[in-house]
Amino acid sequence: MPPDAPNTAGEHVVAPQSAADDVLRVEHIAKRFGPVVALRDLNLHVRKGEVLGLLGDNGAGKSTLMKIICGFQRPDEGQMFLHGESYEPHSVDSARKLGIDAVYQDLALIDELSVFHNMFLNRERVQSPVPFLANRIMRKEAREALDDIGVNIPRLNVPVARLSGGQRQAIAVARTVHSEADILLLDEPLAAMGAKEGALILDLIARIKDEGRVSMIMVLHNYVHVLTACDRVNLIQDGVITLDKATAETSVEELTEIVVEEYRRARRAANAPPATAA
Amino acid sequence: MAVETGRQTPATEPAEKGPGSARALGSGAWTLLKRFLTLREGSVIVITLVTAIYFAATTDRFATVDNFKSLLPYFAPVAILAAGEVYLMINGEIDLSIGAVYLFAPFMFYEFHNGGIPLIAALVLAMVCAMAVGLINGLFTAVVGINSFITTLGMLLTIEGLTLIISHAQPVDTPGTDVAKQTTFASIFGQGIYSQLIWALVIVAVLQVVLSFTRWGLYTVATGGNRLGASEAGIKVRVVIIRNFIICSLCAGIVGVLESVRTSSVQPDPSGANEVLFDAISAAVIGGTLLAGGSGTVVGALIGALFLGILRDGLIIKGVNADYLSFYLGLAIIIAMAANTYVGRVRKRSGVAA
Repeated sequence: MPPDAPNTAGEHVVAPQSAADDVLRVEHIAKRFGPVVALRDLNLHVRKGEVLGLLGDNGAGKSTLMKIICGFQRPDEGQMFLHGESYEPHSVDSARKLGIDAVYQDLALIDELSVFHNMFLNRERVQSPVPFLANRIMRKEAREALDDIGVNIPRLNVPVARLSGGQRQAIAVARTVHSEADILLLDEPLAAMGAKEGALILDLIARIKDEGRVSMIMVLHNYVHVLTACDRVNLIQDGVITLDKATAETSVEELTEIVVEEYRRARRAANAPPATAA
Repeated sequence: MAVETGRQTPATEPAEKGPGSARALGSGAWTLLKRFLTLREGSVIVITLVTAIYFAATTDRFATVDNFKSLLPYFAPVAILAAGEVYLMINGEIDLSIGAVYLFAPFMFYEFHNGGIPLIAALVLAMVCAMAVGLINGLFTAVVGINSFITTLGMLLTIEGLTLIISHAQPVDTPGTDVAKQTTFASIFGQGIYSQLIWALVIVAVLQVVLSFTRWGLYTVATGGNRLGASEAGIKVRVVIIRNFIICSLCAGIVGVLESVRTSSVQPDPSGANEVLFDAISAAVIGGTLLAGGSGTVVGALIGALFLGILRDGLIIKGVNADYLSFYLGLAIIIAMAANTYVGRVRKRSGVAA
């Protein structure tokens, strides 16, 4: 479906769309923080095994959207559907139980804890009858999980503070995959990473994608990364999705042009008298 | 030993082997030392030993059984208080109100028993009161969002004041104790010579095991290390913090009762209580727990308390003028901490573990 016609404010706002094999649909989501409108009437959908890239400027509402989907925050308005059923997570735990898990920008890794404790954080294996941590089992399973997705961390009992940015990110991703999540939210997985480490993560994402079990929504800044790693790209501007295209049908030039156009429009709006409201 | 003989044999062997095996011995000892220092408690153990050896060498009364017994009350109560405090400090919080709870719990024990409640039941109720103080601290810190330093400073004054009000600032006899003879109750709860030591060792052992081997401990470290990250992982960080405030207060309540049973009287003495509070926090810090949170050890706090006990006891034996005692104690703590930090840096460079 092509993007809708520009509305009166000159924006392309994407209406709710769907596909037969959608795992997640987000419809008319709005979220305010006091006077700040983070999201307004936002719609998106993700198909099974699909990698959806989210682009947008700082403050456009990407992180808020991610936090709403993974149950960390609740929307003021709108609905979400998971596998066709109404989805209203009231906590990170409840979202996770339904198979949605997030890798945050701040990684949610605990520097002081070991690699395997981080991988099992809040999902620890314990012994019975005395509920001591089953460290040996966790270390073994963590090793297997990391091997599965081809992440090479030599020692799993060192604190994660000792690891590089790429290794940390890989652990955070591996943690969510290992948790049997079928929808992964990745908030800037390539932020602050060198080319080599970025390649490691892109590789990891490609491997998970090839398995076809997991769908991913990924916030990215780099258009080239979006085009290589994602099946489809959504552009979020001022709290709404303004572009929804398969990556095969778009290009770095088109994405750049849209963002530059927004900048020009913002400048025109600043110079001209107030436009008619949307 | 095997290395030792290896070094003596090479009389007939080529000369160049000599320095090589000497280096091997040196590096072996160094590895051993490094491994010891990689224990978080390693540095404080060294410093405590050095202090003990100093006093044992310079006085003839330090290394005696009698002195060990007289040292116990200096150290066991502080160890228990510090053990609880460590949990909160790992959380990145602090509890100053333990001084007040230490004062308050035995008075509640007395009041309950005076009101006709049996000894053990009154003791349990007093512990519940102590835990209630922890709960309030936790709620104000984790839910209302007041910095724990401020919450518990307020609580320190409030509960000390409350203690003075209900006691009319008068000491009372501790229930279950008898000046004439030592009752079974009294010998279990503080009057027995090793009673406090056993309580301290048991509490420290339990808390260290919980910290190292259970979810509770893992979540405590996680919450202190990265609170936002821990909550994003789905850990209920508020519950973790409140729980630890309750444990910390409970430890203070236990120590309050143990001390009042030991001395057979309940003293409404806020300045003494504040001194206990500072000792406990010092012991935790000296033991290797970071004020910033994310890292700490209960066993370290026990050794920190032992260090403070040895220092106080040793200085008294050496006949240091009472006026100088605090001065020397303060200096010794700063020097010990500096040495601790230095050893910690060596440990970090060794790169074995955090």
